Amino acid sequence: METRLANIWRLTVNEKKFIETALQSDLRIDGRRPFDFRNISIKFSREEGSAEVQLGQTHVMAFVTAQLTQPYKDRPNEGTLSMFTEFSPMADPSFEPGRPSEAAVELGRVIDRGLRESRAVDTESLCVLSGKSVWAVRVDLHILDNGGNLVDAANIAALAALLTFRRPECSLGGEDGQQVIVHPPEVREPLPLIIHHLPIAVTFAFFSNESTVVVDPTHYEEAVMGGRMTATLNANNDICAIQKAGGEGVLQSVIMQCLRIAGQKAYDISTKIKNAVESYNTERALRKIKRHPSSVALDISGAGVNIGKNQNKPVPQKGDSERSNLTSEKSVADQSMDIEGEAKSSEQQQTNKIDGDAKNFVGGPSSWDPYSAGVNSDFLKASLASRGTTMPSRKEQDSRGENMSGEAKPVEPPEDINVSSSNIEASETVLRTNGEKTLKDAVKPKNKRKMKSSSTSER
Amino acid sequence: METKPSGSPTSLVDQFVMPGDEALDLSTMSNQTIKLGRSLRQDGDVLSVMKAGTFKFSKPNKYWVESSQKRYEPHAGDSVLGIVVDSKADNFLVDIKGPALAFLPVLAFEGGTRRNIPKFEAGTLIYVRVVKANPGMNPELSCTDASGKAAEFGQLKDGYMFESSTGLSRMLLSSPTCPVLDALGKKLSFEIAVGLNGRVWVNATSPSTVIVVANGIMNSEFKSGVQQRGMVEKLLQNLKLST
Repeated sequence: METRLANIWRLTVNEKKFIETALQSDLRIDGRRPFDFRNISIKFSREEGSAEVQLGQTHVMAFVTAQLTQPYKDRPNEGTLSMFTEFSPMADPSFEPGRPSEAAVELGRVIDRGLRESRAVDTESLCVLSGKSVWAVRVDLHILDNGGNLVDAANIAALAALLTFRRPECSLGGEDGQQVIVHPPEVREPLPLIIHHLPIAVTFAFFSNESTVVVDPTHYEEAVMGGRMTATLNANNDICAIQKAGGEGVLQSVIMQCLRIAGQKAYDISTKIKNAVESYNTERALRKIKRHPSSVALDISGAGVNIGKNQNKPVPQKGDSERSNLTSEKSVADQSMDIEGEAKSSEQQQTNKIDGDAKNFVGGPSSWDPYSAGVNSDFLKASLASRGTTMPSRKEQDSRGENMSGEAKPVEPPEDINVSSSNIEASETVLRTNGEKTLKDAVKPKNKRKMKSSSTSER
Repeated sequence: METKPSGSPTSLVDQFVMPGDEALDLSTMSNQTIKLGRSLRQDGDVLSVMKAGTFKFSKPNKYWVESSQKRYEPHAGDSVLGIVVDSKADNFLVDIKGPALAFLPVLAFEGGTRRNIPKFEAGTLIYVRVVKANPGMNPELSCTDASGKAAEFGQLKDGYMFESSTGLSRMLLSSPTCPVLDALGKKLSFEIAVGLNGRVWVNATSPSTVIVVANGIMNSEFKSGVQQRGMVEKLLQNLKLST
C-alpha cells in the first residue's frame, strides 16, 4: 500500500497554475500551439490487420480478427463489428489489470460509435449465408503508453488496422448450397473489408478560463483540464459522433469553432492514414512478388546478354538490371545501381547488388536459364498483363525511382498503359533509356552500339 | 605517487561499464586502501561491476559507478524536490520519487515551533534535504541545512516542475556549469532548482522563457556539449521569432 502511494504520479499546484497561465498566452508546455496535433506515426506488422500508432508519447496497438458466427436475430443479413479495449498497467500507474475501468469502456464506446453509427464499415458485405452465418469482426485495442489523448490515437490505430485487414474468402457449397467453405489464403486471395469513409476522432480539452481550448491534450493537460469533448468527423466534414462526458459547461460558439477545427484535422489525419496504408500495401505486394521470382518474365530489351542476367530477378528490378547491363561496365553500373538504389526500397537495393554480381556473366545467357532461348515480347506482355492487378502500386514506386533516368522500366508494359507515363513497347523504352541515360557516355562506344543494334534487330 | 588508478594501459575510469566487467585488478594495488562506492563488488582479486554506468574515480581512493535511472534511491545528504501528499500531526508525508513516502517533521524549519507550523496543502512543491535514509524505513527530511538555517529550502512558488532522470540532475548540478545551462543563462534570466531525485523546477517572468528552458534541459541529456549549445541556439531563435 505504501509503495502504491509512492508510485502514483502527482500533479503539483505549480504545474496547474503554470499550464493555465501559459495557455493564456497561447503556449503549451511542449511548445505546440493550441490547435496543433502531435506527430503521428503509423506502423504495421507482418500480420495483416494490426497497426501500431504513436501520437507523441501515447502508444496504442490495434488488432483485427474475424470469425464466422450466427447473426443477431433482428439483423440476419449483417455482420457484426465489436471493439475491446485493454488498458495495460504498463501504460500508466493508475491502470489496473482486470476489469476494464470506466475510462476504458468509454474509449471503446466512442470509437465503436464512430464506426458503427456512421456505417463506415460495410456490415452487409460481411454476410455469408443470410440468417445462418456472418463474419464477426473484432477489434482489440491495447494501450501501451498513456501520454494523453488515448481516444484519438486508438481511433487511428483501429482505422489503420481495419484498412489493412484481409478476411478469407468463402463460398457456398455442399449438396444443398448451404455449407460455407472458407478458403485458406494460399488458395484464394483474402479480401479486404469494405470501408466507406474514415471517421477520425479529434479531442478537445477545455480549461477553467473561458474559451481556452486545446487540441490533442497531453497527459499533463488532461490532469489540469476542466472538461473534454471528442468530435468524430470524416474527411467530407460529416459529423459521425460527438462525445462530451461531464466536465465544465461550454459555450455553443466554442463548440462550433471546435467542430470547424476538427474538420480540418480530420482531413489531414485521414490523408496520413491513407498514405501509410498505401505504402504498406505496396510493400506487401512487393513481398508477394518477390516470393515467386521464377515466374517473372523478363527483359524485353532484346539484348541477349540482358536476358540471361535478368531472368531470376523480381520484375521491378528488370529496368534497373537492364539499364545497368546496357552499360556493361561494372563500375558504371554500380554507379547507376547506387543512384537507382537510393530511389528504391531496400528490397530492390538488394537485388540491385545481385545484378552487380551477375554482371560478371556478360557474354551470353546462362545455360540454366529456361527463358534464354529467345523471349517473345508478346508472350511476356501477356503474362505480365495477367499479373497486372498486383503490380500497379509497384509501378508507382518504380516510376518514382525513374526520376533519376526519367524513364519507366521497359519491363512493365501493362502498368505503363495504366499510368500512361511512358511507352508501351519494350524496345522503345530500351531505346529511350539508351538516349536519356547520362551514364551511357561513360560506356565504351563499342558496347553501346552493339546493344543498340541488337535491340533494333530484335524489333 | 598517483598514477593512473588501475595502472594498466586500458584504464576503465570514465568509461562506460556493463555488469560483469572487471573494473580493476586488485592484485596490482595490494598496498592501497580503496573505497568502493555504488555498484562495485570485490570478488577476491577482481573488482566487478554490478550496474551499467560510468566508472568514476576521485582522489585519493574512491571508486564508484554512476548510472542514470528514473527511480531515485534516497540517500542521506541529498537535496531533493518533494511533493507534499498529506499532513499528519507530527510530520508531512512527502513524495520524493523513492520507494516509500518520506516524513518531513513539522518542526524541521528554521525557527519552527508548534505555533508557526507552515500550511502545506497536498500538491505543494518543496525543496528539502534528506536527513536519514535507511533501507526499509521511510526516509526523513528537513527544510533546514545541517546547521539549522533555512538556506533556500522550503516551498517553491510558481514556476514549472518537470521530471527527468537522476543522471540529468547530476549533470545539471555538476561544476563547471553544464553547457546547456551555461548557454541558456547567457541569454535568458530564470531561476532553477534541481533535485537529485530527478525533478527540476524552473521559474521565469514569462511563460515562454520557462517553456524554452524546460524543453532545452529535457532534450539535453544525451547530447554532447557542442550539441547542447547548438540545440539551445535553435530554441532561442524560435523564441525570438515568436515574440
